[in-house]
Amino acid sequence: MKNKNKQTKFPVARIKRIMQKDEEVGKVAQATPVVISKALELFLAMIVDEASKVTIERGSKRVEAYHLKHAVETVDMLDFLKEIVEAVPDPSAGGTIDLEQEQADKEKKKRGKGKKAEGGEASTAPRKRRKKADKAKDEEDVEPEEEESVEAYSRRLHEEDDDYER
Amino acid sequence: MSDNEGHSAAPPSEEDLSLPKATVAKMIAELLPNGVTCAKDTRDLIIECCVEYIHLISSEANEICEQDAKKTIAPEHIISALKRLGFETFTAEVEDVLKDHKQQQKEREKKVSKLELSGLSEEELLRQQQELFAQSLAKYQSTQQ
Repeated sequence: MKNKNKQTKFPVARIKRIMQKDEEVGKVAQATPVVISKALELFLAMIVDEASKVTIERGSKRVEAYHLKHAVETVDMLDFLKEIVEAVPDPSAGGTIDLEQEQADKEKKKRGKGKKAEGGEASTAPRKRRKKADKAKDEEDVEPEEEESVEAYSRRLHEEDDDYER
Repeated sequence: MSDNEGHSAAPPSEEDLSLPKATVAKMIAELLPNGVTCAKDTRDLIIECCVEYIHLISSEANEICEQDAKKTIAPEHIISALKRLGFETFTAEVEDVLKDHKQQQKEREKKVSKLELSGLSEEELLRQQQELFAQSLAKYQSTQQ
């Protein structure tokens, strides 16, 4: 059940700390982080909108990192994010796919534990979070690290089987 | 500045400074159309983008602030920064938020100064209030008869 109340806000104190991480930034008026919070809300809405457009265009139901990357590359306003998304691999960049395993996993997923229902996925997926150091490794070698199980990898890949863009 | 994060854990160390995952996850879920979810990796990436956005705006606002020969970054500097960086579409709503905030500030100050001006302690004020209640009750009762 989606709550569209939109009462969740960014933590104002945290925003101020993030601002002041920049040594150039000195004093900040009390109202300033409040105002930034609003701008950030609007920015988040925009970036989610653009990324989800790509997701839908590609016939997928889950917003993947490379959907976001594509949005950043296409939308002018998001230019400043190009470096951040640089490390995201494109789906066509290879990696071994075991078709039979994938098929078996598809069936498994369809019967499903129900965890992948709307919004329920984020917190419970046991997938290992790739750290920045490993991300750098990914640029040359798109195969997943050994920590990620084959099952998880196939599951992840299977989301990509909708598009074989070259 | 009051911190409304009563429920959150200890503040992250300088290096890990980021936005709370749960909060952002919730906001993303609220924004996505029905039937679409967000991958965990993507969510983390979005958080990075948000932090970068804060730096982008702050940096620009800082420059504007200096040009303005001020030492404190004011909300007006943020608004100018948004315009300069191509986010004019945001300024209308942002200005609204600023207006609301100023309004709330005024009301807060009014409350505090009224209390201070009376020069009375809280107990004394309470006593006076009780007296006023008693008086009006007496008045009411007398009109009933």
